Amino acid sequence: MRVFTAVIAIAAGVIVLGGYFFPALTPVQTLLLNWAIILTGFAALVGIFNLIAVHTDKVRRAEKGSLYSALLVIALVATLIFGLILRPQHSFMQVALNGIILPVEAALMGLLSVSLLYAAIRLLRRRMDIMSVVFIITAVIIFLGSATLPFGDVPVIGTLIRPWVSQIWALGGARGLLIGVALGMLTTGLRVLFGADRPYGGN
Amino acid sequence: MAETIKCPNCGEINPRGQAACKNCLTPLLSVTGELNEDAAIKPGQAPTKKDTAELEPILPQWLKDARDASRNANEADGESLQHAKQPSSASGEDLLGGLQAQTGADEEDEVPDWLASITGASPKPKEAEAETPGTRWVEMGGSDDFEKADDSETPSWLAGLQPTESQPNEKDELTGDWMRETSQPQESQPPEQIAPFDTSAGDTPDWLRQMAADAEAKSEDLNAETPQDAPELPLDAPDWLRGLGGAAEPAQNEESAGLSESGAGESEASLFSAEIPDWLKSPAPEERPLQDTTPPWLKNEMQGSKDSEPPSEPKQEAAPAQDDALGDLPDWLKAAAPQSSIFNHSEEQAEPESQAPSDTPDWTRTVAATETPSSDEPAPAFESASAFTPDAKANGSLEDLFTEMPDWLSAASDAPAPESAPPAAEDALTPSELPSWVQAMRPVEHAPAQPSSTGDESLESRGALAGLQGVLPAVPGFAPTSKPKTYSNKLQASDEQLAHAEILEQLLAAEAAPVPIESFSSLRTSRSLRWFLAFIMLGIVLFSLSLNTRIFSMPVGVPGEVRDAMLAAQSLPQNAPVLVAFDYEPSRAGELEAAAAPLLDQIILFSHPRLTLISTSQTGSMLAERFIAGPLADHYKNSGFTYLNLGYLPGGQMGIRAFAQNPAAISPLDMYLQPAWETAPLEGIASLPQFAALILITDNADAARAWVEQTESLRGDMPFLVVASSQAAPMIQPYHDSRQVDGMIPGLYGGALFEQYNAGRPGTARTYWDAYSLGMLAAMALTLGGGLWNLVANLRDRTLNREAK
Amino acid sequence: MVFSPDLISGVLGFLFTILILSYLIGDNPLFRAAVYIFVGVASGYAAAVIWWQVVVPRLLTPLLPAILTGSLAEKIFILVPLLGAGFILMKISPRLAGMARITMAFLVGVGAAVIIAGALIGTLIPQVEATINFFDPQAAAARNIGLAEALANGTIILVGTVTSLLYFHFGARPQADGSMRRFWLIEIIALAGRVFIGITLGVIFAGVYAAALTALIERISSLVNFLGNL
Repeated sequence: MRVFTAVIAIAAGVIVLGGYFFPALTPVQTLLLNWAIILTGFAALVGIFNLIAVHTDKVRRAEKGSLYSALLVIALVATLIFGLILRPQHSFMQVALNGIILPVEAALMGLLSVSLLYAAIRLLRRRMDIMSVVFIITAVIIFLGSATLPFGDVPVIGTLIRPWVSQIWALGGARGLLIGVALGMLTTGLRVLFGADRPYGGN
Repeated sequence: MAETIKCPNCGEINPRGQAACKNCLTPLLSVTGELNEDAAIKPGQAPTKKDTAELEPILPQWLKDARDASRNANEADGESLQHAKQPSSASGEDLLGGLQAQTGADEEDEVPDWLASITGASPKPKEAEAETPGTRWVEMGGSDDFEKADDSETPSWLAGLQPTESQPNEKDELTGDWMRETSQPQESQPPEQIAPFDTSAGDTPDWLRQMAADAEAKSEDLNAETPQDAPELPLDAPDWLRGLGGAAEPAQNEESAGLSESGAGESEASLFSAEIPDWLKSPAPEERPLQDTTPPWLKNEMQGSKDSEPPSEPKQEAAPAQDDALGDLPDWLKAAAPQSSIFNHSEEQAEPESQAPSDTPDWTRTVAATETPSSDEPAPAFESASAFTPDAKANGSLEDLFTEMPDWLSAASDAPAPESAPPAAEDALTPSELPSWVQAMRPVEHAPAQPSSTGDESLESRGALAGLQGVLPAVPGFAPTSKPKTYSNKLQASDEQLAHAEILEQLLAAEAAPVPIESFSSLRTSRSLRWFLAFIMLGIVLFSLSLNTRIFSMPVGVPGEVRDAMLAAQSLPQNAPVLVAFDYEPSRAGELEAAAAPLLDQIILFSHPRLTLISTSQTGSMLAERFIAGPLADHYKNSGFTYLNLGYLPGGQMGIRAFAQNPAAISPLDMYLQPAWETAPLEGIASLPQFAALILITDNADAARAWVEQTESLRGDMPFLVVASSQAAPMIQPYHDSRQVDGMIPGLYGGALFEQYNAGRPGTARTYWDAYSLGMLAAMALTLGGGLWNLVANLRDRTLNREAK
Repeated sequence: MVFSPDLISGVLGFLFTILILSYLIGDNPLFRAAVYIFVGVASGYAAAVIWWQVVVPRLLTPLLPAILTGSLAEKIFILVPLLGAGFILMKISPRLAGMARITMAFLVGVGAAVIIAGALIGTLIPQVEATINFFDPQAAAARNIGLAEALANGTIILVGTVTSLLYFHFGARPQADGSMRRFWLIEIIALAGRVFIGITLGVIFAGVYAAALTALIERISSLVNFLGNL
């Protein structure tokens, strides 16, 4: 089984990778990608059912927080049933989106603003090094440069320093990070294609 | 009275008054001779006969049994000779072998079996029966122990030590420490005076008192008890006792097959012997000659002393005859027991019932009574009185009384005894106050009958010989020249091993030791600060939104990416197909709707594009519908604006790549499951480059990167605009710099800029802007002020810590 | 009285917003209940979307025509993902979970190829090329940027890119005292990279805060609008 799965992974990867450079392989690449996106959707479904199973088990065992788990399961099953029956674009499902999902997520994001501010204030108390100092100074510059005054942009900072920092200085670091991420992904992908890494369970 | 005194050890003539022999330094003055110079019993002088019948009841049962056994042994002398080859090892190796006279005439059951076997209170009394040697040896040794002791110069208790020395050295490792401690002090301790016999109840062990009580209770049956009545080893005896009994069996089986014994006893003994540990079996002596029970080591010592000290004249060979009778009886027992004359009178004069109070053991009271006469004396009688002298032993009829005493037993009695000082006159008792048997023990100037007085009169202070005098002949050089090798039960390890062990311990200790994390000390949350920040933020936003303020001006400076996005939007041809990807989560809907609405509004307003919507997140398609129904509702309702929603595109980068390669094959249906590519928005579109523009609305830099990467080789010249959340914009900026993204609108700031160039439509950014600016200014002020405050605090803490260190 | 979807959405949105914002006071059961309900609704919604927009249109809808009238290739093309989906469903059973490895191996292999090509074609080459082109006078002229400014900015970006990359170089050599230390030149470069990364993270932090602030503004605005419309 290990060899079989490794062969499948390597073969599929090589074909798809070849499709980027060899137009002849593009139809096969598209076919494999189409299969992959279907299977990805199925995997997401299995993950959701696993979520149901986990929280149902918690409710059955009456563990701590089982009431919350019950709420989760009830909400999930109800939404799923209505979604399967009414389809996602139904107004009822839009109510679920606009009345629950979006407000909760946005409110949680709003809470994050307070937490981030708190963290920024306390940062130099916990850790004081060159990166922390530069970090805070840059954040203050962007805060100030992103705001406006009643009569217009904040002089110098809003018109010169902020764009210079965010588009030149930050660009260098961001590009370094992007290249580093790309190199890491490249290495990881190659290890998978070479069979060195088998995250699918092939050891 | 003789003016000289002959050394009992070497025969040297010493002047009277000499404390020690001038030749061999053997003490010449009897330890008890100092009691009263005039009262000292002279050689040949018969001791004053005292009525000691009152002492009879206090005799322990086992002592009475021993006495009877000795009598019977005398009678059976002839018979015992037939068992000449019977090993005396039973008494020698069996620590409790000397307790063979503990016959089971006892009726009391309360006494534990093991204690009863010691005290004579047998829980299973048996009727007196004809003596069978077998039954005797099984319990306490060979039946001819006592007969053999008659001919032995070495007491059987000493024979019990013989195996320890006779065994190879490695056997010592198997011998318990307590076993070694038994022999070592005997060999190394200098002669000591007898320890004071404290008769206080507090110092008397319970078991000893119990023994006395039992003896009193059984005093009536004293005469009826004989050694032949010795019961077999009780089946319910403790294992260790069984083991001790069984330890004698191998010797019996090997050396005296002719010795008869009961079958039961034999079988049990054999069973026991199988369970006996080696350390107990090892002392089992090999065959020993009848006439010579002296252990080899003793012989060697003796021989060595002879060789090394020729002038000395050891008297060991001329053992006193009286030792024959008491040869197996430890001296301390002899000292504790009355003389044979006492026993002789005891049968006639004993009144145990009348003299035995119900509560107090008689022997205790008797001892107290013994002390009573000497109460006026500064010290009790026993403190200064020595043990039986050899002469006294000779007079006694306690022949074959005991073989030996277990070490633990002797140690128990010896423990409280301090080292006694040499006898002083003030410690002596007057003769009239002493019982007759004590007087009989008083020292004589020289041996009355035998020329030798058994040699050294020094007292043993420890071990099985504790309190005994003259047990070991004081032959010069008799003492072992070297201490027996001791084996420690501690681990033998070299220094290197110890060092390694120490390192390992340190490692383990370091692993187990909790390591405090310093950073946690400053991670305490400040709820007040948190509430303060929440109050500030909510207050600012509520104030601005509720009052719908327009205090702050919209941003003026247009960054390059926004400018490029504007140019790209304005360059779109009319009625061009535009692909719009909604890849953001509901949490950023507010920001991205405000940022993307001006762009899309402008495009719709000026270009009337055919929009095709797609999303790589599950909620994206519905957010797109929300977007159309929200910021773009005016166009949708009034201007006949049409669009197509292809719905959810799964697979992340794989889905994007597949869609970019062949969008019609990957997403053939729209979200209503209707054929998409035959509708008006997608008319004439078969591939990605055929779209006039690609607009990505995303809050995730990774999603933006995925779209950039997977469409890089397929976009062609198609404009690629990104409306990004402000959190993702910094990481998308490099793609704009590399011209992979033609334009970008970063968050609300970019939306506010674009909105100004869109005639203020739809106005969402303007609505939010005051609150946004206030929030950013507040963040700047709080971060700057709080940061400086905490920076100073951190520096102060560091200074304090440095000073503290 | 008829409850419109907008009204229900507004009521629910107001209620859940209040419940979530109650966390500013402290953790409380209402906040937790709201979060759990949100997770359940979001998961159920996602499952419904997957069913209706993935399984049905891409697997079930083409299945019947392909089996009935399709060619062998079409049947294979539609049956293979069906088989793969069956393997994934076997992951529910502990005994048959191993069969899911086949599908997972396929997904991992395809995904690895996609990210390799994307990273190489979409990021590595273009970004390196863009870093080099910043020193191109023609490119600067096309942007209406002076040569000096272009060189200065290009130098900053180049230094930032290189030093940020080298900051993540953690190779070290053992020293005489047994400690591990990076090469001194790497140490200096990493220090500069730390400054650039600090600046970048500061900008990202400010962007995250701006996004969070905008989300808070949107929520408060919705509350104000809801209360104003009552």
